[in-house]
Amino acid sequence: MSNPLPEPFTHLTPYRAWALPTEDARMRQRIDAPMSEITAYYKALLPEIEPIAKHLDQWPLAEIPAQQKPLLYMAMMFMETAMCVEFFYEPDVPEALGAEHIDVFAGRAEELVNA
Amino acid sequence: MNSNTRPFAEQYPDIGTGPVSTVPAVDPAFFEQEREKIFRKMWVNMILREEDLPNPGDYFVRDIEVLDASVIVVRGDDGKLRARHNVCTHRGNRLVRDESGSCKGFQCDFHGWVFDNQGKLAFVTDEQRFHDLDKSNLGLAKVHLDTWRGFVFVNLEQTPSQSLEDSMAEFNQDLKPFPFENMVLAGRYRYETKANWKTTMNAFQESYHAAFVHKRSVRQCLDDPSDPYLAAQRIKLQENGNQSISVHLPPHDLTPTEMIAYSMGATFTQGGDGNVNAFPGTAQEKIKNWAFDLNIMFPFSRINVGAGWYYVDAFWPIAHDRTVYELAFYFPMPTSAGAMISQEYSKIVLRDLSREDLFTNEVTHNALRSGAITSIQLSDQEIAVRHQYEKVTEFCGLGEGAK
Repeated sequence: MSNPLPEPFTHLTPYRAWALPTEDARMRQRIDAPMSEITAYYKALLPEIEPIAKHLDQWPLAEIPAQQKPLLYMAMMFMETAMCVEFFYEPDVPEALGAEHIDVFAGRAEELVNA
Repeated sequence: MNSNTRPFAEQYPDIGTGPVSTVPAVDPAFFEQEREKIFRKMWVNMILREEDLPNPGDYFVRDIEVLDASVIVVRGDDGKLRARHNVCTHRGNRLVRDESGSCKGFQCDFHGWVFDNQGKLAFVTDEQRFHDLDKSNLGLAKVHLDTWRGFVFVNLEQTPSQSLEDSMAEFNQDLKPFPFENMVLAGRYRYETKANWKTTMNAFQESYHAAFVHKRSVRQCLDDPSDPYLAAQRIKLQENGNQSISVHLPPHDLTPTEMIAYSMGATFTQGGDGNVNAFPGTAQEKIKNWAFDLNIMFPFSRINVGAGWYYVDAFWPIAHDRTVYELAFYFPMPTSAGAMISQEYSKIVLRDLSREDLFTNEVTHNALRSGAITSIQLSDQEIAVRHQYEKVTEFCGLGEGAK
């Protein structure tokens, strides 16, 4: 993607496509992604989550600037990929009710950030 | 380890220990009995907080399929919360089609009748062509509404046979200290499953299944050889069908991700700060490695409390072989990105874990429908399942051929 992520996270710009604004979109992206990409994303983001959180914590949640929000979305997308890498060893939940039978709705914080 | 391997049968000797008939789980006629004798009389947990509708005109609509009802909860201009049937009093059209919103009033899309946000009929189009229309008696049909600790409940009986407070029974005391009002909706999920509501719910009423169903998602908590099946230390069964089960999780190593999440907030498997006293809750100080309490409000909704979070869920019966599982997860409102990122971890854990719980339901339901077995066997650890079957049978009776 051409649009770079903010400093000091420009090196994560190749993963910008994973910066999805809703839990529903992130869950479905994870389920559809190949495990190799999920693992690469997980490995790239693991050391970055705490620095991203610290960086974003300079703003109250409601005031995070638009150009910074992809970092927040990417950190939450990391949490999706962590399930695959640390527990399931595949993109979806094995032996589970199919994701096509699930609706995922926004909580208050997601509504606030995406308002 | 507890030397008494079957403590709960002793605690509740009237519940019995024998096999339990599958009739209540598979018989469509039994479901019809439940509809009339249980569901029509219950206080319906709307999975809605009072503060979700803060301003006059704010409304929320829920369809209660099992009672063929759709109910609007709306805060009126007078500040009061009301529940009304979502049915236009002109010719019965569904009045509101959105799930939630805010408005001064509701206009029917059939002929344009308008109701204000207190349910009164405010305007009739081309009114002069009607005969003796008494608008004051044509407000939206009333539904009883009450709140408990900020949770909104409705009751569709003409006159409720029991108050909401009475139906909460021992939860009035047991859940008293929990700070529900300090938390907000963090995520909400809706799962559709083709199984009876009890078969669906039974997977959520004991921790015996965790070693198998959750062998991946909570693997780190299943390593204690002295406690491989997470045998519950506390199960409380109430006379009216309410139940409480304390779930514990042995101390475990955190994965790299849970370590990050836990450093920025409470997590699902780790609780608040590891100090049980941090949780101003229910029975946790008596439970070794307490993790959370499952609190079941008979017949099918729950308010489950953990250290630093809670979730409300319901196993909505749709038909004898169809259930919608709805889950709403609450955390303190995050004020920083770090807290939000941390909460996202626990949301995903619980969301994925629930899908594991729901996996066995459809196949189990079909297997029971086959008639291959006519009773199920329940251990002391599954006494809450037994208690549920006992209660529904007490209300509905068992049909011909059962037992």
